[in-house]
Amino acid sequence: MTQETEIIRQVLEGDIETFRFLLARYEKPVIRMIRNITYDTESCEDIAQDVFLTAYKKLASFDPDRSNFSTWLFTIARNKSLNELKKKKPLLMNELPEKNNPHDPSDDMTKKEFFARLDNILQTLPSRQRRAFILAEFEKLSYAEVAQIEGARLGTIKSRINRAKMRLRKALEEFAGDVV
Amino acid sequence: MNPEEIYNTWKEQKSQIEVSKGFSSKVMSQIYQYEREKKKPLIDGHRLIELISTRPLGKVAVVAAGAVIGLVRITFVIYAFLGC
Repeated sequence: MTQETEIIRQVLEGDIETFRFLLARYEKPVIRMIRNITYDTESCEDIAQDVFLTAYKKLASFDPDRSNFSTWLFTIARNKSLNELKKKKPLLMNELPEKNNPHDPSDDMTKKEFFARLDNILQTLPSRQRRAFILAEFEKLSYAEVAQIEGARLGTIKSRINRAKMRLRKALEEFAGDVV
Repeated sequence: MNPEEIYNTWKEQKSQIEVSKGFSSKVMSQIYQYEREKKKPLIDGHRLIELISTRPLGKVAVVAAGAVIGLVRITFVIYAFLGC
């Protein structure tokens, strides 16, 4: 029996305080994932609170034979993030900030501009590609785990991540070309 | 800094996050509140009496329910009487 399964068993038996261990382990990854999907730094913690409360309420339905706890929890976080995104207006390409004309690619300002450019490209990726990329690259989940969270086939996930990477790298190279 | 390094630094930066100090306490208090509400009885006698006594509609509903029950009872008595 894994440590997590043991913690879950204790919580289900009424030792609510043990849930803190799960919170401590997953608060950062869950908040980070929500922030990266919703791009909402202000309400990502509120959404995360809702995620953990839902996880607590549904804990009895978690089946360790079907998935890891992390995959199960990330699935809840993914669904909550998507619900939050539905409430918001999609970001349009023409809303993206204009590229500046930096001179020295090594200075901090230019680096920030590179990062802003990458952020913008990430935001404009198709949502499925973006989520798969975030889960694999920022959360360091395996492709199989991403496939389980997204409810898609492994090959589909690989393809989404590769396309996202290609788009980001292409944008970065174009921007670097403009700079140099 | 080449594009590859920038890309990796960006990924690294996106992986960092600061969580506000009281986050886990907020979640735990929500959980405890949820548990308290779960333990509350479905029908709270005191709350029901308070609802009835403070609202005119509540009083009307109780009187109407009493009248209906009384009528049903009288009907049963008459039916049983005639049945004999």
